[in-house]
Amino acid sequence: MTELLRTEAMSVVYGGLHAVNGLDLRVDEGRLVGLIGPNGAGKTSFIDGISGFTRTQGAIYFRGKRVDREPAHRRARLGLGRTWQSLELFEDLTVRENLQVGAERQTVGGFLLDLVRPGRHRDQSDVDWALDVLGIAHLADRMPTEISHGQRKLVGAGRTLAARPALICMDEPAAGLDTTESEQFGRRLRRIVEAGVSILLVDHDMGLVMGVCDELYVIEFGTRIAHGTPAEVVADEKVRAAYLGTKAGT
Amino acid sequence: MTRPRIPAARLRAGVPALVVVALLAVILAKGDYRTNFFSGGGFALGALVAAIALGVVVTYRGSGVVNLAGAAVAMYAAYVYADLRTHGDLFLPPLPNPLAPIEGLVHLAGDDSFTVPHWPTSVSFGATMGFWPALVLALVFCALFGLVLHVAVFRPLRHAPVLAKVVASVGVLLFLQAVVVRRFSTTTQVVGPLPFVDKTQVDLGLFKITQEQLFVVCLVLVLAVALWALFQRSRFGLAVRAAAENEKGATVLGFSADRLAAATWVLSTVVTGLLGIFVASVNSSVDPNTMPALIVPAVTAALVGGFTSFGWTTLAAFALGMQVALVTFLGANESWFPKADGLPVPGVDLLVPLVVIVAVLALRGQSLPTRGVLGPGRLPFSPTARPWALRYGGPGLAVVALIPGVFFLSPAMRDGLTNTLTGIVICLSIVVLTGFIGQISLAQTSFAGLSAYTVASLSTHHGWPFPLPILAGAAVAVVAGVLVALPALRVRGVHLAIATLAFAVAVDKVVFANSWINGGFDGATVTTPALIRSQDTDTHHVLGVTIGDGTQPNPLTLVFCLIVVVALGYLVANLRRSLTGRQMLAIRSNERAAAAAGVNVAAVKVLAFGVSAFIAGVGGAVIAYRTGNVTPDKFLYDKSLMFFAFAYLGGIASVSGAVTGGLLVGGGLGFTVLNKVFGLPDEFVLLLGGLGLVVTAVLNPEGVAGKARTDLLALRRRFRPPTPADRPTPADPPTPADRPTPMDPLTPTDTATTITEPTASATTGPSAASTPAAAAAVPTAAATPTAAATPATAATPATASISAAAAVPTAAAAPTASGSAAGTHVGGSAGATPAVAGEAR
Repeated sequence: MTELLRTEAMSVVYGGLHAVNGLDLRVDEGRLVGLIGPNGAGKTSFIDGISGFTRTQGAIYFRGKRVDREPAHRRARLGLGRTWQSLELFEDLTVRENLQVGAERQTVGGFLLDLVRPGRHRDQSDVDWALDVLGIAHLADRMPTEISHGQRKLVGAGRTLAARPALICMDEPAAGLDTTESEQFGRRLRRIVEAGVSILLVDHDMGLVMGVCDELYVIEFGTRIAHGTPAEVVADEKVRAAYLGTKAGT
Repeated sequence: MTRPRIPAARLRAGVPALVVVALLAVILAKGDYRTNFFSGGGFALGALVAAIALGVVVTYRGSGVVNLAGAAVAMYAAYVYADLRTHGDLFLPPLPNPLAPIEGLVHLAGDDSFTVPHWPTSVSFGATMGFWPALVLALVFCALFGLVLHVAVFRPLRHAPVLAKVVASVGVLLFLQAVVVRRFSTTTQVVGPLPFVDKTQVDLGLFKITQEQLFVVCLVLVLAVALWALFQRSRFGLAVRAAAENEKGATVLGFSADRLAAATWVLSTVVTGLLGIFVASVNSSVDPNTMPALIVPAVTAALVGGFTSFGWTTLAAFALGMQVALVTFLGANESWFPKADGLPVPGVDLLVPLVVIVAVLALRGQSLPTRGVLGPGRLPFSPTARPWALRYGGPGLAVVALIPGVFFLSPAMRDGLTNTLTGIVICLSIVVLTGFIGQISLAQTSFAGLSAYTVASLSTHHGWPFPLPILAGAAVAVVAGVLVALPALRVRGVHLAIATLAFAVAVDKVVFANSWINGGFDGATVTTPALIRSQDTDTHHVLGVTIGDGTQPNPLTLVFCLIVVVALGYLVANLRRSLTGRQMLAIRSNERAAAAAGVNVAAVKVLAFGVSAFIAGVGGAVIAYRTGNVTPDKFLYDKSLMFFAFAYLGGIASVSGAVTGGLLVGGGLGFTVLNKVFGLPDEFVLLLGGLGLVVTAVLNPEGVAGKARTDLLALRRRFRPPTPADRPTPADPPTPADRPTPMDPLTPTDTATTITEPTASATTGPSAASTPAAAAAVPTAAATPTAAATPATAATPATASISAAAAVPTAAAAPTASGSAAGTHVGGSAGATPAVAGEAR
């Protein structure tokens, strides 16, 4: 399998706190990799780190290129997409425009042409595909403020997907969904992977993570405590103690 | 949280400290530098700047507002005091008189002797007043004014976006200046000396200083220490600090966050006013322009103190005040000082705050906001131009302006219309920068002015033929705009407003007051082709139609301006519809998410500054050709503030808003009508502009054009029966692509998710659905105009409840947007807790 993303001893430090502490992680093409851990384990910091929103130490390789000094937007253009835990949609743009911002790339010539002929035809196939995969095509002309929370989550994912990334890092996409909804969401994730997009999934929903992921990383206090298939991870004593044991009640 | 002292952080703190120490060493080492830096006048100025800066810090800590009107309060207090001392009068701002239009109409009918009762212009306390009663009365006035500012302006705005707060404080600044100009004109007012100190020199060893200067310096130092003690050592200060973190913190300590904010406002206006009075007494004079401009060094000092530290703020303020005398000395005596045409470049003392601001912001700013840093809040909605507006609206408006403008309007009205057209251009430049990408620039007329002087020079001294200097001027403006954009890459919101304001004030002096550039007393002549020269009175016969009536201004000047307005209007409308426009709005709503979507935030910001400066530059060039003579007064920083005010008033986020703003600007068509028909004096432009700006910021952040649009949409929805195309079916049926998965229906999902939202949304949903009337009210009240734009009401109650419920969290997040449509402050309070939002509706 071809390697897509690899981190080597990656750390994220806030003040004196090591939110992520020397983490090695690898995502291969066509895989759905889960990243789980208790609250405050450093999952979001890890995603912020690899997508370029916080300073990191150590190395990050994406498609064989070292990217840890690249700015966030350039990593996105290389095909390293991410979604946000708190949605962060562009509230002033319609759903379709939200996806267009993700999909389209501007050039100098394009900008000048825009000033004269803004309405000219643009290739919308990526946007339509993303709307279609997520089943939100009927919302295309609505504003993000008018649709439900669940739909907004899909728009957030769609905006990333419309850029046709090679990898999407999803930050708790299923938070707030009930069991049936998260099963349905899991099927959508598999469809995305089948379309050739790898996924790094961070979530608390153990049913979803165990059900859809090809492999799992478990982290605690910013360090890796287990790695393997869902079955292997479930069997791991350290994981049971650190994560599943404490989370069993929820 | 303490930060680790990593080498980079040490360098960041160390280099500026070293620079400051080195400068101080040089100043202390050279005798004449020392005497000029530590001069009495410098100390007095530093004391005033420090007092204003302390006031800014106090209000910022109490209510989170950077009060750009702080220095204007000092000026206003000095005027109140001076008037009480000399005449025993307390002057009043012009009050709205509902009878005035009747008088205007009767005068229009020809009976000039008719008058209606007017409000008094002042309250008399008899003859001249002594020092203490006048001082006390002036300070009571300051305290009341602070209270009014809090209750009427900034409390309603406490959850509003930063832009609205900046706008409101600019409005207060313009208002105060306008009232003083209205009552006392722009001439300098004499202020009597303080009774208990005099101008006796006191020798302090290192330097000499007069008694009264020493007194104000000591007073400011005492005040700074007192404020520090109040904030760090008292329960009041603890509560203010707690309230700054969150409102509940203060409540827990038994304080009302609201009263704390009110107290800080009163405290800051009294401190600022007190020093305004004393320093005016020391200087023996006060005028409406000098003191308000001190807001730039004051805010710079507050910035150095991080808007929290009284000590650093005071130190920086004194340094910024004292450097003025030193820089003047250097200009007169040092050969290395930059010279223009043999004279020292003016205004270098104003470059110092700018440099300090840029340095501080560059060291402290972040290229992308980090997690947990609040965004600037929602800005007014920016609509895409409708096809009918592009196809018919633009040309229609152009014809409506063209035909009367060329054939029917009187010369005065023609002049007003031309002013409106040039105003529209400047407003358009603000629409791009503030409306589309959310960056606040208070330097737009500086860009215009740079372009205008370029045009003057190229057309007159270098013989460039007519249209070429416009492009060259715009290019110069673009360069300036991109330079200003560089700090903008690391800062946002009010910090950017401060940086651009400092830039504007510096450009005023360094460039526009530079006789090498401005052409001296006569101004810089622009060689204009006869056809469009404003002073040209020839008539032209085209296709049997006569253009021109033999009077100034030349109607073809108007045509020239109109062509430029139409071209730039379409440029801006196109920008909004294009990918670049979408990227700008994406950055406006969320810089982090935009970067994650692959948008090069820095590049698009620079581009926006470039486009905006280009438009402003073309505007400046048009103004230059139109008047034929460039004078600095058209481009000074207060004009930038004024245009910003009117652009915001009109509607900051759309071309229609810019057109409305253009109609409102000083000297524009709307004002000319008021002036010629109702006899409204000139000073009222600023007065109405300032007041209108405050009212707009508080009550109607969408601006006139935005309000008109939401009202129109609401009206249309009420009268139009639901059309099939509009009606979303209750279940939002899954698309064909989804059918194979039977467990895909979205509606249950959505309802379930909304119920997990704060209780408010869950309760609002059913209640809204229960009565159609309530359902109709909710989208309008909840209403971001976007919600209003969709036919939520037309849908069945089930859908209405869903969309209403979905709209509530948004309303809570964007209180101003909801406040605008509701026309009340309900939205403002809704922002505090979602639960309140539910109850309010």
